[in-house]
Amino acid sequence: MITLKEVNKVFRLPHDKKTTLRQRFVSLLQKKTYEELYALRNLNLKVNDGEFLGIIGKNGAGKSTLLKVIARVFEPTSGSVSTNGMIAPFLELGVGFQWELTVKDNIFFYGALLGMSRQEVEEKYDWIIDFSGLERFVDAKLKNLSSGMQVRLGFSITVSVESPILLVDEVLAVGDMDFQQKCYDSFKNFKQNGRTILFVSHDFEAVERFCDRVILLEDGEIKAQGGPRDMLDVYDRGNGTDLRNTNSII
Amino acid sequence: MLTRQMQRESSYTEAGCKMENVSRRNNYLFLTSVMAITDFKIKYDNSVLGYFWSLLKPLLMFGTLYLVFSVFVRWQVENYRLYLLLGIILWNFLSEVTLNSMVLLQSKASILKKIYFPRWIIVVASSLTSLLTLLLNIGVFFIFFAFSGARFRMSALLFVVYLAELYILVVGLALLLCALFPKFRDIHHIWEVFVQLGFWATPIIYPISIVPAKYHTLIFLNPVARIIQGSRQALIGPGGEFLGLTNHIIIVFVAVGLFAIGLGMFNRLSRSFAEDL
Repeated sequence: MITLKEVNKVFRLPHDKKTTLRQRFVSLLQKKTYEELYALRNLNLKVNDGEFLGIIGKNGAGKSTLLKVIARVFEPTSGSVSTNGMIAPFLELGVGFQWELTVKDNIFFYGALLGMSRQEVEEKYDWIIDFSGLERFVDAKLKNLSSGMQVRLGFSITVSVESPILLVDEVLAVGDMDFQQKCYDSFKNFKQNGRTILFVSHDFEAVERFCDRVILLEDGEIKAQGGPRDMLDVYDRGNGTDLRNTNSII
Repeated sequence: MLTRQMQRESSYTEAGCKMENVSRRNNYLFLTSVMAITDFKIKYDNSVLGYFWSLLKPLLMFGTLYLVFSVFVRWQVENYRLYLLLGIILWNFLSEVTLNSMVLLQSKASILKKIYFPRWIIVVASSLTSLLTLLLNIGVFFIFFAFSGARFRMSALLFVVYLAELYILVVGLALLLCALFPKFRDIHHIWEVFVQLGFWATPIIYPISIVPAKYHTLIFLNPVARIIQGSRQALIGPGGEFLGLTNHIIIVFVAVGLFAIGLGMFNRLSRSFAEDL
């Protein structure tokens, strides 16, 4: 279960950000000016165990910030966040990739980053190699692999993490149809296994297919929440156009 | 002002039974070791020759200084070669850990922005990588030792204590520097200058006997000078005041103090690393 109580996340955007002592010294006498940006505003949210929660909203609505606050990457400016169980962040595929190292070394490194133990990585190792289809390239340096192979490797390691909570941020945007199908299949599996999933996406078809509940974010606040169909309708009305149709044409 | 006031009210709780917490701690240890090994492999290009290549730098430095100060200047020091080599190796460790941990923090910025893990893991991993290099360099030192005709003495066992003290001191320094680094990037350059200054302010290439006695107190305010001097007396001899308990008490006091300050600052400031870096 994930509970957020009155969470605020304020970013201070200085007009002129100072990152060195020299800059601070030089501008000692200048007035410091900055804008305050509320990425999340008094947000209350409860996600139950085994729930598949969709998060939709325009760019800059606070979707990614919300995931990062839950993942503990960002500290909330105020409010409390509580979670039970380990969280696996799917925020980006292959963030920790070490290009100079082999596929094998990368599996251990990335696995450890995502919170796996040595034993877990060793257990999953064969499965990861098999799922990514990289049997022949185990000892090749990552930088020499094609970008498709790199994506497959990143995805395979990520889905092998057995944490009860998953945070997914648009990873599905990459890859061909085949790959997307693989992703959807894993999602179905996750759902069947009763894992809690928070899913940020602009892919309305996927949202409608998987989510039990959807929240619509706007300017860091939850504007509406409910079933996926209703929420997508609310979202479309807010935009004035039926985005779903445009989406399917593209 | 508003944001500062709010800061105190935020909290993050992570429920979990005792066993889960233990396993999480083990996973963090695993991550630390994997990160250290990864850095080591990248540094040495994943090959044995890569390591030998990296030995060139301290050895060349040693060779040059040795040439200048034993052929041209001629200090009156017994076993000057060992004296110099040990000093360079230990100082190199300090310089490497403190400077590399800041570089490593910068290079891991993209990971810090996406995945949570305790941020100290980066500093500790970096220190372990350098510790491995230090141990290999000490191996080289003992090869020189064997050929120098110096005699092994029981006090050499004290060297391990000095190494432990040096490690705590250096990690404390690295934590302190890394805590400040995201907000003040030029601290890396400033620290580089300090390391250079420290190298000459510490009796590494010159014997302490050439320094007028009135400056000795000043020089030995620096705990690293005490550690280096003590290690020499323990390994190469002759024994002396730096093997005594007082010396250890002073070193441990400074090292632990620095470590506590470093860790405190790091824990406080690392919470906003994802935004600052």
